[in-house]
Amino acid sequence: MANLNLKSKQERTYQAIVVGSGISGGWAAKELCDLGVKTLMLERGRNVEHVKDYPTTNMLPYEFPHRNQIPQDIQEANPVISRCYAFREDAMHFFVKDTDHPYVQEKPFDWIRGYQVGGKSLLWARQVQRWSDLDFEGPARDGFAVDWPIRYKDLEKWYSHVEKFAGVSGNRDGLPQLPDGEFLPAYELNVVEKYFAEQLKKHYGNDRHMISSRCAHIHGNADYYAQQGRAMCQNRNLCQRGCPFGGYFSSNSSTIPWALKTGNLTLRPDAVVHSIIYDEEKGKATGVRIIDRLTKETEEFYADVIFVNAAALNTNALLLNSTSNRFPNGLGNDNGLLGKYVAFHNYRARVSAQYEGHAEFTTSGGRPTSGYFPRFRNVYKQETDFLRGYAAGFSASRGVGPDTSGIGMELKNSLLNPDKYGPWRVGSHMMGETIPKESNYVTLDPNLKDEWGMPQLKISVDYDDNDEKMVKDYIEQMTEMFTKAGFTNIQASDSKQAPGLDIHEMGGVRMGKDPKTSLLNANHQLHAVPNVYVTDGASMTSTSTQNPSLTYMAFAARAAHHAVAESKK
Amino acid sequence: MDRVFLQNSLLSSPLALNPIYQPIMNRRHALRHIALISGGLALIPSCDFSKEDILAAYKNLKITASQKQLLGMVSDTIIPAGEIKGALEIEVPDFILVMVNDCFTKENQDKFSAGLSAFPDYVKETTGKKYEDLSTKEKEALILETAKLEGDESEEGQRKAAVAYFVNSTKRFTIQGYMASEYIQTEIVPYSLIPGEYNGAVLITDLQKPRING
Repeated sequence: MANLNLKSKQERTYQAIVVGSGISGGWAAKELCDLGVKTLMLERGRNVEHVKDYPTTNMLPYEFPHRNQIPQDIQEANPVISRCYAFREDAMHFFVKDTDHPYVQEKPFDWIRGYQVGGKSLLWARQVQRWSDLDFEGPARDGFAVDWPIRYKDLEKWYSHVEKFAGVSGNRDGLPQLPDGEFLPAYELNVVEKYFAEQLKKHYGNDRHMISSRCAHIHGNADYYAQQGRAMCQNRNLCQRGCPFGGYFSSNSSTIPWALKTGNLTLRPDAVVHSIIYDEEKGKATGVRIIDRLTKETEEFYADVIFVNAAALNTNALLLNSTSNRFPNGLGNDNGLLGKYVAFHNYRARVSAQYEGHAEFTTSGGRPTSGYFPRFRNVYKQETDFLRGYAAGFSASRGVGPDTSGIGMELKNSLLNPDKYGPWRVGSHMMGETIPKESNYVTLDPNLKDEWGMPQLKISVDYDDNDEKMVKDYIEQMTEMFTKAGFTNIQASDSKQAPGLDIHEMGGVRMGKDPKTSLLNANHQLHAVPNVYVTDGASMTSTSTQNPSLTYMAFAARAAHHAVAESKK
Repeated sequence: MDRVFLQNSLLSSPLALNPIYQPIMNRRHALRHIALISGGLALIPSCDFSKEDILAAYKNLKITASQKQLLGMVSDTIIPAGEIKGALEIEVPDFILVMVNDCFTKENQDKFSAGLSAFPDYVKETTGKKYEDLSTKEKEALILETAKLEGDESEEGQRKAAVAYFVNSTKRFTIQGYMASEYIQTEIVPYSLIPGEYNGAVLITDLQKPRING
């Protein structure tokens, strides 16, 4: 018996375990496998194989019984996920329904999740803007959170590393707040977007810019990506279904198949990780305990190093649930800060308008991205009555539609020959930096459990006065810019949407220099358990304004190389 | 529903009129059937709808076969057949009922159903005729006028509001179901899954497309 157990334990032992298969877990696994590390990737959801498991990817509009609308009964039973812009009939199967995985909202929080191999990397908006030192130095300069233990120079080569492999299209814009990277040809801004960029230059000098957003799509030159089995983006704009061309970057299309090809990766879907096992004698983590999603049976896996990439809030939940005599309040949680200083991006406000100019033009074809308006507030010094600032998305479009006021043959002919061009429509949405605070936290509910007997996560995150001021400023400033550009019928709105719907939740396991005030060191290791690395959104000390995924990818690649270098010492 | 009507409605199925089946019957039988069919049609309005079976496919709605037929006639007025097929021929009424059944709130389903139920009487009161007896021009004018009806809190006002809601919802879903149909998106205006490289400054005058005649 003893022998059998030993053998069994040996079979369940790897050099590294990666918890989570989303954008950061995929990168951790890919780098570890490339470096020859026998790696086990655990994913709580079902397997989703590239192309094969994209059931809707080639469906035509008429093949969706409700033409992509979510039926009323599903919406009523799942109010949180129904608020997500991408939760539509074509991608419904990739999102977690409220009813399947309940959580506790101490304050309203729309927690958007994707539980399958690939996680939300299948569903993301694919915007990949680098951070600069204007972001990393933010907390130290403005006196909030703690100082980041890293700077741009620590991450620069890893940004390049992941951009080149993932495929990022963009221009080299030469902006200090948005460093240039390894770019494929950019997607073109349209004539009105270019006009707006020129107007900004005219009215604000070199302070405000509108550029073509950098996005993780293969554009212009696909040769390098053939080795990953990926081809050029075909501008379908159906990304959330999974792309049969591998035109955008996802774990499913890129890092996971790549890692599998090395022969070093074992992928284990349907593995709900219960906790990380801590060995007090050895003074380190030795493995993880899982619950099989389908059979509910528990099993243990062992490894020298463990990467936690469960997505920001679930990474918090897993560490909080990993208790031992040494760590009664959660793994690595000596200072009691685990789960605290959670932050997000403020996406509440939008400004839209119309533009009567350039009436002779329209657009054709498709484009998977739009314009990006980098932060201009408080960039070099504090200038406003709120800390930090906001970036914004910007796009202009022109629709052509039929006149639907008629009936009969007149209506029919109008529908079949749409020729009514409206004015150009312009729209912008804010992406505000929020300030991490101890009072914004997650914890485990002491009583409520999920289907697997795991404690439900309790979320207590809210906006603050800084956010309110920023919403007001964004609306004022964007309205002013639109006015100066000659846009008309300017409409501003504050959705007051709950935090979480931005799908940029971050923090709770923040990096820092001091073990007394942070959980992770500069290499993403838990201060108290250095063979556990956290490289997803949970590790964020502050949030900046840029979409965070690219930074998680760079974190994961950098930390994987660090872990391998450590193991060779 | 009486026995005679049941029999007639069976005979009035497309199968009975299909020429392939005609040779089976002798001429005398055929003539008698035609007479019965005409009689059957005349009997429809006197049939008590409340006793008619509701269609099980739309479980949230209490829609009868005759009401679905009426909905079909309205959608046919909105987008009629011509050189290319109309809404009724490509079964847009099915789509409308699926959308109302699956995607409407209970409140809006009730309003739609109330409007559909009230529609025959409303047509009679407004035009003095049954809907099917109106000319195409009359039907079109009636639908356009009905769409503009405004209701109020009174019973009559609520009925008007429901009828207008029924007509407007039907028009909206007829347009959507027709344009996003397999027929239109494959045979008439093929949908492209691969729209091509983006061009951000296209002159509208360069986009002349051949006109499609409905």
